[in-house]
Amino acid sequence: MALEGTPLRPRVTAAITGASLLVLLLAWIAATSLGLVDDLFLPGPGLLWAGFLDLLENGYRNRSIWEHAGWSLERVLAGFLTGSLVGTLLGLGMGVNRKIEAIFSPLVEFFRPLPQLAYLVLLIVWFGIGETAQIVLLFLTALPVSAIAAMDGVRNVSVQRIQAARSLGATEWQIFRYVVFPSALHEIFTGARLAIGVVYATLIAAEIISGSTGIGWMILDAGRFLRSDYVFVGILFIGIVGLGLDRLLLLVEHRVVHWSGKD
Amino acid sequence: MEAEGISTERQAKLAAPLARRLARAVGDLRLLSVLSVLAVLAIWYVVTAFALVPEVLLPGPGEVATSFVDLLLHGYRETTLWQNAAATLWRCGAGFVLACATGVPLGLAMGYSNGVRAACNYIVQFMRPLPPLSYLILLILWLGIGDTSKIMLLYLTAFPIVASSAMAGVWSTKLQRIQSARSLGASDWRIFLHVILPSALPMIFTGARIALATAFSTVVAAELMAATDGLGWMVFSASRFLRNDVIIIGIIILGVIGMALNKLVLLVDRSLVHWRGVE
Amino acid sequence: MASEQVPSGAINRRGFMKIATLSGAALVSGLPTRSLFAAGKAPDSVRVAFFVETKPTMIAKGQGWFEQMAGAKIGWSEVGSGAEINTAMAAQSIDIGLAIGSSPTAAGISQRIPYQLIGMVDNIGPAEDMVVRAAANIKSPADFKGKKVATPFGSTSHFRLLGFLKTNGLTEKDVTVLDLKPDAEVAAWTRGDIDAAYVWSPAKSKMLEAGGVAFPTSQKLDAAGYVIADLIVARTAFSEAYPDAVTGFLHAYGNALTMYKTKPDDAAAIVAKEAGVTPDVAKRDMAEYDFVTFERQLSPDWLGAPGKPGKFAHVLKSTADFLVVQKSIREAPGVEAFEKATNTTFLQRAAKA
Repeated sequence: MALEGTPLRPRVTAAITGASLLVLLLAWIAATSLGLVDDLFLPGPGLLWAGFLDLLENGYRNRSIWEHAGWSLERVLAGFLTGSLVGTLLGLGMGVNRKIEAIFSPLVEFFRPLPQLAYLVLLIVWFGIGETAQIVLLFLTALPVSAIAAMDGVRNVSVQRIQAARSLGATEWQIFRYVVFPSALHEIFTGARLAIGVVYATLIAAEIISGSTGIGWMILDAGRFLRSDYVFVGILFIGIVGLGLDRLLLLVEHRVVHWSGKD
Repeated sequence: MEAEGISTERQAKLAAPLARRLARAVGDLRLLSVLSVLAVLAIWYVVTAFALVPEVLLPGPGEVATSFVDLLLHGYRETTLWQNAAATLWRCGAGFVLACATGVPLGLAMGYSNGVRAACNYIVQFMRPLPPLSYLILLILWLGIGDTSKIMLLYLTAFPIVASSAMAGVWSTKLQRIQSARSLGASDWRIFLHVILPSALPMIFTGARIALATAFSTVVAAELMAATDGLGWMVFSASRFLRNDVIIIGIIILGVIGMALNKLVLLVDRSLVHWRGVE
Repeated sequence: MASEQVPSGAINRRGFMKIATLSGAALVSGLPTRSLFAAGKAPDSVRVAFFVETKPTMIAKGQGWFEQMAGAKIGWSEVGSGAEINTAMAAQSIDIGLAIGSSPTAAGISQRIPYQLIGMVDNIGPAEDMVVRAAANIKSPADFKGKKVATPFGSTSHFRLLGFLKTNGLTEKDVTVLDLKPDAEVAAWTRGDIDAAYVWSPAKSKMLEAGGVAFPTSQKLDAAGYVIADLIVARTAFSEAYPDAVTGFLHAYGNALTMYKTKPDDAAAIVAKEAGVTPDVAKRDMAEYDFVTFERQLSPDWLGAPGKPGKFAHVLKSTADFLVVQKSIREAPGVEAFEKATNTTFLQRAAKA
């Protein structure tokens, strides 16, 4: 979608992306093969590839990389879906009803900026080591983001539209279902994309208490011994999957919310 | 029972002096918020008073309060609470400000121009889901253990959020408005300045709020390694010696500061972006 | 003072004031004041990474001896693991690493991180060991099958635990090994989520107090070659540029060690204050470590004299080999690399001083 006067054609933009990526890759290859940067700091493509193959074949610490990836994905999805769902519902409620907002706002506002690492140990106290504590952490990470996005979405609905609907005799529920909710959907989806981003960002913190599974944990553990090759493979993996999830959400949004930007 | 249209009772209610209704509503609401917080404190007290959780792992409100006074008076291991709070805020602020200063312009550019987006967006989107803890080690390797690596971590965490929000903000501009402005003969630049930018501001501010909250939660992660001050350092240091009372104090202070920061951005948002929800 | 012969450029007016005040303070404190800092070049500051722990290192830190003897201001960075010290050293962000474990040190030397081993803080021995839950009914190594054991990965405890599994024919398929930091271990322990832990105090003593039973493994493991120690490392470039500061630093630690051996109660009191524990806890924790004296460190049993590396290089080598098997590091160099990385010239000078 272009807002400039003369937008570029898709083929040209694809070429630009390709060129940009190529420049980055060349810089990376140059820096590492010319020895400008030590292997420890930035492993070269050869090392990365070898590390990747190694992880594929032999896994990491007695578990295949797919196992680790599976664990991580499970946690992310469980935390994100539950947190976003509950958060969105809560946020819609908060946006519509001031009383609900008054009750929950202090809790949501308190939790949202709260660094997860700070209360990680407390979660173990209550939920033990294992999946529950981690998923609870991710749930608590996603919830405030979704809640606030949904609340904002409701608040941003054009007042005129509500008044118009009200003057046409719509009930509060009808106003919500047909005016407020659809209007807010765009922000809800933005909130969902932000939520999954934040959940992802917290994945490693959560996997600190995982015991010994997960890609996030693998990165942390490899980082301890400065195995930058494993760390980079892990980061790339997480980045690509994260990108994929984000694109997926975008796709869903475009299918569902085809009216954004139009009046 | 309600006929089509608005009943007379409803009309009367609507006509009641706005001020009076608002005052009553606000009074109720504040009370609700306070009660909500008190309920949480009560649960905490009950849980510890009845030893539902071992004392050593979750100290009660009384013990925490005493420790708090002690921390205020004597500091934590030769650092005062103010010092730690200031250090954490400085890192968070620096990273956030840098991220906004660079992220907003880039996001706007990406939203506006397909070319810029093609060149940069894939990097921004790739950065977004990256867990800060995953590359903290790399940043420390490259930039050392001082504040630089920590601020860079926060910058890299906040930047993609702000840039993405700015981009989304540009896209949320109603096509019709742009088209009508264009048909009125406005130049691209004027359209950008007077139609797109104001339209994007609400989303930019939402993004900034989220970025600030994220930067704030990341600053604690940044203080996980080789820090000598900061609220995050205080919490981790305390956890190494199982001083859960200090941990809880740290958590509460962090939460309160986070909320205050958020309110600040909200204030700025409300005063600058007064056209939310208005056509 | 002002008429002392000074090397050109090394000590200016600021340095003179520093020397004057430090000498005055040292005289007052009754400690031997070596003019170590007047003889050689002094750095502007020394960046030291340290642990907050119950060890005599805290004495030298708390009393300011490190700064006095090194002759420079010290920038202290608290770390939580040897891995952080390695990272900081690789980033050239610190000059001295205090009490880094032998496991991370072996890794660091193998990865050619530019530091040297200049001294030992302690031979860990029984200070890090296994604690099992009384209710888990673990009486012999075979009983660990199917159990959950927690340890902080990458630490000397982790190294020992893996050694324990290996020497008893157990694999990580038989025993679930979990990566948990000491505070997380205590939390998991009180919930009954783990059956055993291999770790150090304060977590170890907390677990012993809460339904735990000691399961000693250190003697057998030490004999089998799984010796673990806490070491002092210094950035090679730094120690080449400022040998006197490094010597002074070690000398300060030597004084602390002497104080611990001759006046244990006073020592415990100071350590307790620095570590935020009671003097009793400090005393009890310190008693478990073997704080190797400088003379023993210089003997062939440990680090060896300058130019005559001792057995410890072999300990580091086998540690590194083990880490390679674990895939923690890519490759381990020959024992010569570890011998070369051990530089006890400063230790010798400090011991004679």
